Amino acid sequence: MNNMSLLNSSLSQTMDYAAPILFAALGGVISENAGVVNIALEGIMRFAAFFGVWGAFVSGTPWIGLLWGIVIGIVIGSLHAYITVKWAGDQIVSGVAINVMSMGIITYLLELIFKTTGYSPPVPYFGSSVNRIHLVFLKDIPFLGAFSNLTILVWFAIILTVVMHFVLYRTVLGLRIRSVGENPHAAETLGINVAGIKWFAVIMGSIFAAFGGMALSLGTLSSFTNAMANGKGFIGLAAMIFGKWTPFGAMAASLLFASAQVIQLLLQVAASGFAKGIPLGFYLALPYILTIGALIGVVGRAVAPAADGVPYKKES
Amino acid sequence: MKALEVKNIIKRFPGVLANDNINLSINKSEIYSIVGENGAGKSTLMKIIYGLYTPTSGEIYVFGKKVKINSSNDAIKLKIGMVHQEFMLIPRFSVTENIVLGHEPRKGMFFDRKVAVKEIKEISDRYGLKVDPLEKVENLPVGIQQRVEILKILRRGAEILIFDEPTAVLTPEEAEDLFKTLSFLRDSGKTIIFISHKLKEVMTISDRIAVLRRGELQGVVYKEKTNEKELARMMVGRDVVLEIPEALVKRGDTITSVRNLTVKNKRGIVGLKDVSFDVHSGEILGIAGVEGNGQSELIDALIGFIKPIGGSIFLSGKKVKLINPRNMRKRGMAYIPEDRKRRGLILPFKIKDNVIMGQHNKRPFSRNGILNDMAIESFAEKKVEEFDIRPRDIYTKAANLSGGTQQKVLLARELSINHNFILASQPTRGLDIGAMEFVYKMLIEEKKRGVAVLLVSLELSEIMGLADRILVLYEGVIIGETKPGETSEEELGLMMLGLKKKERVM
Ligand SMILES: Nc1ncnc2c1ncn2[C@@H]1O[C@H](COP(=O)(O)OP(=O)(O)O)[C@@H](O)[C@H]1O
Ligand SMILES: [Mg+2]
Repeated sequence: MNNMSLLNSSLSQTMDYAAPILFAALGGVISENAGVVNIALEGIMRFAAFFGVWGAFVSGTPWIGLLWGIVIGIVIGSLHAYITVKWAGDQIVSGVAINVMSMGIITYLLELIFKTTGYSPPVPYFGSSVNRIHLVFLKDIPFLGAFSNLTILVWFAIILTVVMHFVLYRTVLGLRIRSVGENPHAAETLGINVAGIKWFAVIMGSIFAAFGGMALSLGTLSSFTNAMANGKGFIGLAAMIFGKWTPFGAMAASLLFASAQVIQLLLQVAASGFAKGIPLGFYLALPYILTIGALIGVVGRAVAPAADGVPYKKES
Repeated sequence: MKALEVKNIIKRFPGVLANDNINLSINKSEIYSIVGENGAGKSTLMKIIYGLYTPTSGEIYVFGKKVKINSSNDAIKLKIGMVHQEFMLIPRFSVTENIVLGHEPRKGMFFDRKVAVKEIKEISDRYGLKVDPLEKVENLPVGIQQRVEILKILRRGAEILIFDEPTAVLTPEEAEDLFKTLSFLRDSGKTIIFISHKLKEVMTISDRIAVLRRGELQGVVYKEKTNEKELARMMVGRDVVLEIPEALVKRGDTITSVRNLTVKNKRGIVGLKDVSFDVHSGEILGIAGVEGNGQSELIDALIGFIKPIGGSIFLSGKKVKLINPRNMRKRGMAYIPEDRKRRGLILPFKIKDNVIMGQHNKRPFSRNGILNDMAIESFAEKKVEEFDIRPRDIYTKAANLSGGTQQKVLLARELSINHNFILASQPTRGLDIGAMEFVYKMLIEEKKRGVAVLLVSLELSEIMGLADRILVLYEGVIIGETKPGETSEEELGLMMLGLKKKERVM
């Protein structure tokens, strides 16, 4: 492999790794800008990763899988919104409950539907050569070449970031979402439908996370495994914080975390001499160590929306 | 023409009848004041009119039409606007964003910032309320933030404007500005409902005044036909002695000393420079000054929140080596902060838990780390009685108490901790006259017991009435020392502005 194609393929791989994290991070961005913390993103990713595969398995096309994944995202998102918005329940408890629930339910469904433990059979997916978006003319250009062979889900993650930026900072809806996350009481007195905005943001965020799950099971891989989300939802939340609750910030952070992942792989391959003696576990842990390091460096300056995570109850 | 009428309004909270059959009739283009002590039910009544609370029973008429107001949205549609006691602003948003939120000019689905800014400029010119539309609200002084609130409701076409204790957070100059604005608004046809417990203000700007006491309407009077004394009597239900009784106590030994204290504040500015003074047993030492001239630095150093960059503090005659709140407390300091919600009480805690905080780790309130509820409750019952805390229910959360009652809980706590020195920082801020009277009484009693009191206050009348000696802070230094008998409020005022100095003999 020559240097240029190594560069392009590494970049392309980075984007591939970044997409699930970015989707989760964007889900967090919209939800927390409306003041609702959603650590259920992890569980939603797992649910959607599974349902996406199931849908693709049943129909024979990943597009139907995508639809199933979105639907389960809406369902689980509604559950989180019902608990945290309708009943002003504790957002962390609700999120943990959904995450734990996702483990049990999916293990059960795997056995019920695929008669397997922990993984599904392969299904048609967006990462297959026919389904990828081929931009042949970019292929041999440095950097841009990385974009010549991406899955539709990666493209969607990029587009969604831009759209989210405009929605949050340029539209009336975005202004209202942010106002609800900053001071719901003030928003309420101005006649803004606080509960409605929160429902909307939580469900949209859950749909984004669902895309993240499917970027794993229908994008990178072509099947579901029980270890699928593997903390990507949480890393997404870390990326959201690192990116200061903004879409582009989340994107930069997701790329950073993903590149740590790719560098780790390259290091493993390139390891020679004494580096050969370093246990594999260290390389695997490297991205997470970097994540923690990055967060320590930035967390003091990170500013969450003022009413983030605070259950909102209307006065009576 | 009647702008607003409320008939037989009753609002019951668990355990409290906040509004007991209130009837008001407010004319168009008048400034109608509602006065009453903390907890009289003023805010509750306003929140009902603004749709934030649902009344238990009663009717509301707006411009002659009977209406149901179920949400602030309904109120806005009826052209009712409210400037809340706590501002309803979003600090991180710009002035423009705050004003147009909920009613944004759009271009398609996009927020049309340009049009919004232009609109803000127009109304701010029309009503003479100057603001910078692009500035972030968090960077604005309180007076301007309030302007933003007023613009917000004017832009929504409010004809009836409710102000809930708008001057509580303002400096006297800002309050003057507000009064001009209110008169201007009245003259241009708006109806103003003005809530306050400061009688002087009410006597300045109102056309008519309604008095509430413990949820009941005591009467409505024309400003011309009443005076402060009568209003005070209606408010409190008895004659109020606003004058502070003289209490002659022989001053004793030095309890607290400060030597060459120099303090850098959190913004990195040296806010207090080379300040020295003594406070004696049986003496109230007043610190006068315009806000921001070193008071907060002095207080933060004395209570141990900030380590001074120079100088020393002596408590009970001994130099404090390690300056932190725990050590200050151990050496007999009681602290009455100006912001009782932030520094004073733990709002979600019940009265009983609040009054033992600070002693919670001592017997009989706890033993080996286990709280003794029985001892706590019987102690709290005693304090509630002793300090006349209403309601008597020791299980009420501090958050649900009125400001005056919160202050009593705080005093009950601080004064029951073993102390020989009280650091009192604006102890009557935001309190009504009844509660003020109570605080004065307590401070004088403490002085008589031989406690040393350092009273930091922005109210000259308070300092002149209570203090035995007065130090004036100006730009972080003591610009002079005097005694109430030897000076006047005018002279103090000049010293506070740095226009006059007075030699000190130490
Ligand atoms: N949300 C609430 N829940 C319970 N009690 C309340 C609530 N709001 C106010 N109160 C009580 O109602 C009474 C009137 O309070 P409020 O209207 O705030 O008085 P004011 O504005 O005149 O100081 C007080 O005794 C207060 O403790
Ligand atoms: Mg009030």
